[in-house]
Parts: sequence; structure tokens; C-alpha cells
Amino acid sequence: MSDHGSTEGHSATHGVQFTFDGQIVRAQPGQTFAGALHNADIHVLSRSFKYHRPRGLFCVTGRCPNCMCSVNGEPNVRICTRTPQANDVVKPQNAWPSVRFDIMSIFDKMHRLLPVGFYYKSMHKPRFMWPIFESVIRRIAGLGEVDRSNGGSGHYDKLNLFTDVAVVGGGLAGLNAAHAAAEAGADVILIDDQPRLGGHVQHDAGSIDAHFLAVRDQVASHPRIQTFSSSTAFGLYEENYVAVQQGNRMIRIRAQQTVVAAGGWERPYVFENNDLPGVLLASGAQRLIGQQGCHLDGPIVIVTDQPIGYRLADQLKLKGMHVAALVDLHDQPQGSIEGLRVLAGQTIQSASGKSHVTGAAIVAHRGGATQHIPCRWIIQAIGFTPATSLLYQSGCKLKYNAELDQHHVTEHAQGVHSAGAVNGYHEPLVCVKDGTRAGLAAANALGLLTAEHSSRLTQLEREIAQSVRECKPAANYISDSKSKKKFVCICEDVTEKDLCDAIDEGYANIETLKRYSTISMGPCQGKMCQSASIAICARHKGIDIEAVGTTTSRPPEQPIPLGVLAGQAPHFSLTRRTAMHYWHEEAGARFLDAGTWKRPERYTDPHDEYQAVRKGVGLIDVSTLGKIELRGPDVIKFLEFVYPNRFANLGIGKVRYGAICDEAGILLDDGMICRLDDERFYLSTSTGNADAIDSWFRWWLTARPQWDVSMTNLSTALSGMNLAGPHSRDVLRRVCTGDVSNEALRYPSVKLLDVAGVPAIILRIGFVGELGFEIHVPSQYGLHVWNALMEAGKDFDIKPFGVEAQRRLRLDKKHLLPGVDSDALSNMYDADLPWIVKLDKEDFIGRWSLKRIKERGPKQKLVGFKLEGTTVPDEASLIVKQGSLVGRVTSVRYSPAAGSIVGLAWVSIDQSKNGDVIDIRHAGQSLKAVVQDDPFYDVAGERLNS
Amino acid sequence: MSLQLTCPNCGVRPVWEFHYGGPVKNRPTQDASAEEWTSYIYHKPNPRGDQKEWWYHRSACKLWFLAERNTQSNTVHATRRFGAEESK
Repeated sequence: MSDHGSTEGHSATHGVQFTFDGQIVRAQPGQTFAGALHNADIHVLSRSFKYHRPRGLFCVTGRCPNCMCSVNGEPNVRICTRTPQANDVVKPQNAWPSVRFDIMSIFDKMHRLLPVGFYYKSMHKPRFMWPIFESVIRRIAGLGEVDRSNGGSGHYDKLNLFTDVAVVGGGLAGLNAAHAAAEAGADVILIDDQPRLGGHVQHDAGSIDAHFLAVRDQVASHPRIQTFSSSTAFGLYEENYVAVQQGNRMIRIRAQQTVVAAGGWERPYVFENNDLPGVLLASGAQRLIGQQGCHLDGPIVIVTDQPIGYRLADQLKLKGMHVAALVDLHDQPQGSIEGLRVLAGQTIQSASGKSHVTGAAIVAHRGGATQHIPCRWIIQAIGFTPATSLLYQSGCKLKYNAELDQHHVTEHAQGVHSAGAVNGYHEPLVCVKDGTRAGLAAANALGLLTAEHSSRLTQLEREIAQSVRECKPAANYISDSKSKKKFVCICEDVTEKDLCDAIDEGYANIETLKRYSTISMGPCQGKMCQSASIAICARHKGIDIEAVGTTTSRPPEQPIPLGVLAGQAPHFSLTRRTAMHYWHEEAGARFLDAGTWKRPERYTDPHDEYQAVRKGVGLIDVSTLGKIELRGPDVIKFLEFVYPNRFANLGIGKVRYGAICDEAGILLDDGMICRLDDERFYLSTSTGNADAIDSWFRWWLTARPQWDVSMTNLSTALSGMNLAGPHSRDVLRRVCTGDVSNEALRYPSVKLLDVAGVPAIILRIGFVGELGFEIHVPSQYGLHVWNALMEAGKDFDIKPFGVEAQRRLRLDKKHLLPGVDSDALSNMYDADLPWIVKLDKEDFIGRWSLKRIKERGPKQKLVGFKLEGTTVPDEASLIVKQGSLVGRVTSVRYSPAAGSIVGLAWVSIDQSKNGDVIDIRHAGQSLKAVVQDDPFYDVAGERLNS
Repeated sequence: MSLQLTCPNCGVRPVWEFHYGGPVKNRPTQDASAEEWTSYIYHKPNPRGDQKEWWYHRSACKLWFLAERNTQSNTVHATRRFGAEESK
């Protein structure tokens, strides 16, 4: 049975070469890196996290940290499950100069200086030294390094799938569950983390060969089963949402039902030097021999407490390997094999050897003389910890069952089933039945079962209930010796003594013990150490294992590269471009991100763009503004409710600046509101808040169905451009047939006219403090109208201007920018917009709060300031008064119009009057600024009205 | 959070298409007490159990609708349009 795995999938007839730590190694076809390295007699693959002890193959299933290397620059690859490509470069991690001779292994001799939690106890004093300590620690400890030279490691993508039943785990139980559900008519997705379906059973001698092979073949070819191997289900979320990693791809599966048949993680046995290369888990040894075609040279000692140890001994002997002794932890041997030396009632105390096992010290449980058995391999077979993480994550309730010595599901989450080893069934025949039962149960929940299937399900449930769970591990996790080098957690180098010390120091709760000692926080995420750490905690505190509890299982169940979660970032994030985007690009614009939009930040020098607007004419793309049209008899009622402003008195063809606040009176956004007709309004919002205001309006309209208002979001349907400057009317006249004279289109008003032959909404508004027209046209014609305006403006040296020039121009007029000059604490009064708030209106959003704010009086205020000198302080510079912080700068620029540096700042109310001097701190300097009520440009507003 | 919501327009969709709009509250009148107003503006009931709440189908039809959700198990018992009859 153990052999059929070794030839499957080996399509190539000759192997490949790769290098390990500079040495050339040849891999046989189908072999993993690990198998090839074993055959090349290379056994030290890494150095441990803290003490830099030599480490070699241990679990051979891709779970423990021992074989993590960098492959072609990709860090932390578990090379025991990865198949080499020609000329791959494998480098060991955490070792210098080489993994065989690592200078840092000196730490192994210094463990006294590195007690549990040493980083909490030392190195934080004196405080200024911590950054130095930190950089040293980070270099010495830790895992692989990210190769930044090629800007990341490849292409990541995502696959979304929907299915009736998802089965996690391709072992005996999982295969049978998938098969049963599919046969009942369900669409099934089967996920398995190993390269080949079959789980542990394919490497273990058993009695169900024919059945196993038949089911595996049927699953592989079943039209209703889709199989993903080498794929790890790392999260099981609400409503059967399964997150799976397959290489650089994340597969997201929405299933109706999920069967968790994840099997188990083999438990290590804790004894002195149990981390030496040469110490193997039984399933690891079975994989090496069965799957990788490896041979274990030299004498072998097996440590076990159950039949699987004997089956392994038999397997090894059949392959011609030398089993020197089998140490059975039970007084009564759990089996017998002819010619096998069985040491019952004994345990392993320690392994000896420097960089590989050379012997094992065996002692009777009841004490007595230690006997030393020379050997090269120590294989431990003391059972499996059920892989219950996904069940915990899904919301199943689990409870410790002392008889089974495992946590066991007492209540399943909706649509979640469990099968096989996670249910405590280890006997192959029972796993077959339990898997079939779970598959049928999932199909039953989908209403797919025929009468025949239903009776089969009932029969299976009865049979399973009657079956004896024969495998009862005896909680023999820890050998009884006083050594300091008994590693419980091989990821983080946490020993039994560390755990006991931590408990003695008061970290006795399993959750605090975990955080303090870092046990189970390494790459294996507790798969190797959780059972033993709980057992040690229980023993040291003298309580039951049940009373210890477990740490919380959280996704990801297995470490995954961040790229898998992120996906291909540009592909997954929305980018919006205006109709004129490529014109800007050709004009050499530098873009900035405004929400999801790209906006030209500048084309040339913002100063020239600024001067063009002030002295001639400029054009800016404002298509990114939110644009909403409202129609209906109750529009005024609605606007008067959502804005603090008044609109009932806004005449047709008039425009009003409006600001929106929430019920707490906090400024949310501002924009222009145009009355196009009696029951027709058109309004704009700022770029960043367009979606928020859209949803805000929709919510109020939903909650007030008595209002007859219909709303249309025209944000992307219309392009907008603002033509501004003393010559803007001259330019507009050349392309607009309508009357745009000061008499026909006064500030602030709106008109529907044709521009360059395109129907447009023209707003005569201030925007940048000059005579200006904002022109909104259907987006299809946005570029056409833009081109027409640029052409018409040639004689006036028209210049396109970007967001930077716009900010300078608007700051001249003290126009605030919501979200930049205001935050979640800025109310309408403090933001210097009191003239907007009409408290005499009966009701509007924010009225109750604003009334109280007005009565209470302001505590801070947004003010303009003028700064002498040439130093421009950073935005967000602090304002201090007598050593205390009293405010901050929100916007600041040099203003050519004012001839000085100007800005907006939040200040305490006692410094907010015209002429008050404020003290701005910038780069250790104190800059004196003067508060100014008036705008910095065109105080009388003559420009706007020209 | 990977729960699914049934949008009254679009049907069953994953939660990330939606925006949570908070628990359903009655807006006080302007003459209501300060306690009522501060509670309306600042306090969230945050029950462990069933709650009636607003959801917005942000990524699709833009409908605001109501859902009855158990905050502990994230089970959504029912969704409906505002103003539609409450399901029994």
C-alpha cells in the first residue's frame, strides 16, 4: 500500500538539479526538495529562531518550521512539500555564514541569559537604546527576508467559486464525504493541502487498499467534483465562506454546506533534544519512505503508545531498514512483531548528538537505570491532534473529551459538518463510514436525498454510534526529565521549562501564557505544540486539561503570503478618469488621487497657472465633483431639511452656496445649489464626498417616503470645467451663442445654454475668486467642449490649471475645504459658517445641536492668518500659547496676491479675533502670524461681480 | 464578516456589497428632551441579540432597506423595504 504513491504523478523520466546553500543537489522525478536533500545526506536545513540550533526534517507535511528556506528569493518556503524546478536556488534562513556552521549558535550556550519573555524583561532600559536593540534583535532572530530586489514575488489573483458542498481534507473521510455528496447529486469542491489526495492513510499500511484506490479514482474523475490539491483552506467564515490559498491564488468559495474532514496534526513527543535532526514524526517518516523513495540508513528507535508505531516498524523492516528498538509507553505492549525489540513501560529521556541524532537514552517509567541505544533516527508515533481550527472559526462549539483526549464538536454551526479524525475516529473503516455519513448529511441538508440514500444515512449514523473509538491516545506528550532543552514549540524555541517559569511568573491562563512565552505564535500556529502546551499547563497548575481551555483559533489557519490576500492591487481597486483625462496626460499633467479619481495636480508651474487665472484666464477640470439633480413638488422641503441653509427664497436661475452638517452639527460637505426651475434643482458636492452625500440623501428620502422627490445622480453623466479669470467671459462668448453678459448672467446664477453646440448648465459662481463660469455638459462631449474653450482662449493665453493652483486661488479667498480644513469635531459655527445656519427654520438636520452650540458659545474657530517672513510652515503645524497646544494649521500657501504667506488654522477662541497674534511652531522655530477676518484677496468681491 | 443579505431588489448578495447604516431609531422632534436627542445622536443600543437595522446596497442598486439581524450569530432573519409589512 505504501508504495503506490511513489510512482504517481512522475511524468518526467529524469530529475532536475538545484542548489542548496551553494551545493548542487539532484532531485529524482516527483521528489520534493526535502526528499532530494535527504538522499544527498543533507539533514541540517535551518537554524532555530532563538537559539540557532540545527534543525532538520520533522513533519514532512508542510506544517512545522524546520524546513523553511528561501527559494529563488521567496522566503519561508516549506521545502518538504515543494517540488524543485531546474536550477532553483535554495538558501537556508536564519544562519550565518552557513547552516552547518552558524556563528549565532552561541546563543544555545547562553540560554540562561535568554529566559522566557526576556524581551519584556530587558533591553527597554535605558529607553534611548531600544531602537538599537531592536535592530540587532530583528537581524539575529526571525525568519526569512523578503527579497525586495524584484519588487515583490509575482502575480497574485483571486478565484470566486460557488458550490453546494465544500469538503476540506482529501483523506479517507474527506474523499468519501465528497463522493457520497456528489453521488447524491450535489456539486462538490474538494480541497486538500497536500500535492496528492489521500491523506495519511496512503502512507500507512492498512486493510482497505482496494476501496481507497477506487474512491480516490472516482473522486478524481467525478463530473460533479472539482478538486484542488496543494491548496490550503485557511479560513472558514460565516455562511460557509471558505478561504483557500493555492500558490499565488486565493480561492474564495461560497458553499451551501461544508464538511470539515481536515484530519489531524501529528503530536510531537517532548523530551531532551527532541529537536535534533534525525528526530521524525511517524507520518513524516512514512511520507519520506513511501512518497519520496527515501531510505533511513542506520538504526532506528521508535517511540509510540499505539498500534501505528508497530505498523511503522513493520513497514520499515519490510523495506530493509533497521529498527533497533520500539519504545512502548504503555506497560502492556500495543502490538508485537517478530524479531522486534519492544521496550514496554519505558520512555525516551533524551536524544544525543550534535548536529544529528547518534543515540537515545531510554528509561523505565518507574525509574531505574538509563540505557543508551545508539541510533541515527528517532521516530515518534503518539497520535494526532485533531485539526479543529476551521471548526472553531466557523462557530462550532467544542469541548474537551477526556476519554478521547481531544476537543470534540458538541454543536455544529449552521451548514457545517465534521468527519473522520476531527470527530475522534482514527480507524480507517470508521473514517470511511463517517465520511460517507457526513457527505450524505450535507446532501440531506440540501434536500437531495432519495429514500434509499436516507435509509443509508440512518444506518450509517447507527453504525458509527456503535463503533468504538479504538484509538485512545494517553496524553503522553512529555517525557519526565528535568532537562532545560525539551522543546515544546520548535517554531519559537519555547521549552517546557520556559512554560513552567512563565506560569510561575503569573502567566497561568492559557491565553496570557501564549502571549508571554510566544508559544504557538510561530509559523506552525500551534499545530506542533498546542496539545503539549495545554498538557504542561494543566500538569504544572495541577488542574484538568479541560479546565485549561484552549487558545482561540483565528484565520489564517496556516500562514499565507500577504500578496494572496491583497491580490493584484491595481486590478482590484477602482480608478476613475474624467472625459478629459488623456488630454491632461498629453499636456504633461502630474496627477494626484482624489478618492478614486485621478485629477491633474499641475501641468507646469502652479505659480504660472495661478497668475494666468488672476490676470488672464484659466480652465480647470472639475468633472470629479458630485452632481445631483432633484425634482418634485417637495424638493424645497427636502433641501430645507438636509441643509441648514434656506432655499425657499432662492429664485429660479439663482445659485446659493450650501453646507451640509449631521445631527451633531458637524460639517460634512459643501457645494453649490442651483434652482433650474420651480421644482427642479441641481447641486454639486465635493469630489471626496460625492458618494457619501448621495447615500445620505437617499437614506433621508427613503425614511421620508411622504416627500415627493426624485433624485438622479449625474456625477459621471456630466463633465464639469471651470473657466475663470478676467477674460473668461471673452472666451465663453466665442463658443456660446447665448447671452452671458453681466446683466444676463449675474453672480451668482445659473443658465441652460449651448456651449460649442452642446447643451450645458452654466453656473456663474466664484470658485477661485475671479469672474468665472462653471460649465457642465454631458460627459460624451466633455473633451469636445474643453477643446473648444482651449481653442477660443488661445488669443487670451488661456492655461489649464491643476488642483495645486486651485488650492492657492481658493485659499486667497479663505474658502475652506471640508475634510482638510475641517474634521469630525468641526461644527458649523466653529468652521466660521454661522451665516449658513438658519435656526429660525422649524426643523433641519443638526438644528437641535447647533442651537445648543450657539447658546454655549464657540470654544475654537477656523480663522485665516497672514504670516510675515519667507518660511512656509508645514500643514498640521501646531499653534502654541504659553507652552500649551491651542490649535493647528490646516492649509498654508504663499499668496502672490497678498504678498505674504497666508493660511487657515484652528485656534482657541481667545486668539480668534482680527489682529490676534498666534504662535505657529515649525521645525523648532516659532513663527508669528496675525489673524485676519477679511479674505486675502478682493475683499469687496468686485472681481466676482465684474 | 462573510454573511449574506437579501437585497429586496437584487436578492442574496455578500455583505461586502453593502454598507451598514446602524440601528433603526426614531428621530425626536425639536421639542424633545436633551436626553432623547443625545441618545439619538450619540448612543448605540448595541444589543446582544436581535436588532432592526439599516443597510445600503452601495455597490449595486443603491437601495436603503431594513434587516433584522442577530448581532451575536450574524444571522439575518429578514430583510424588507422601508414601509413594507414586518414579516412574522
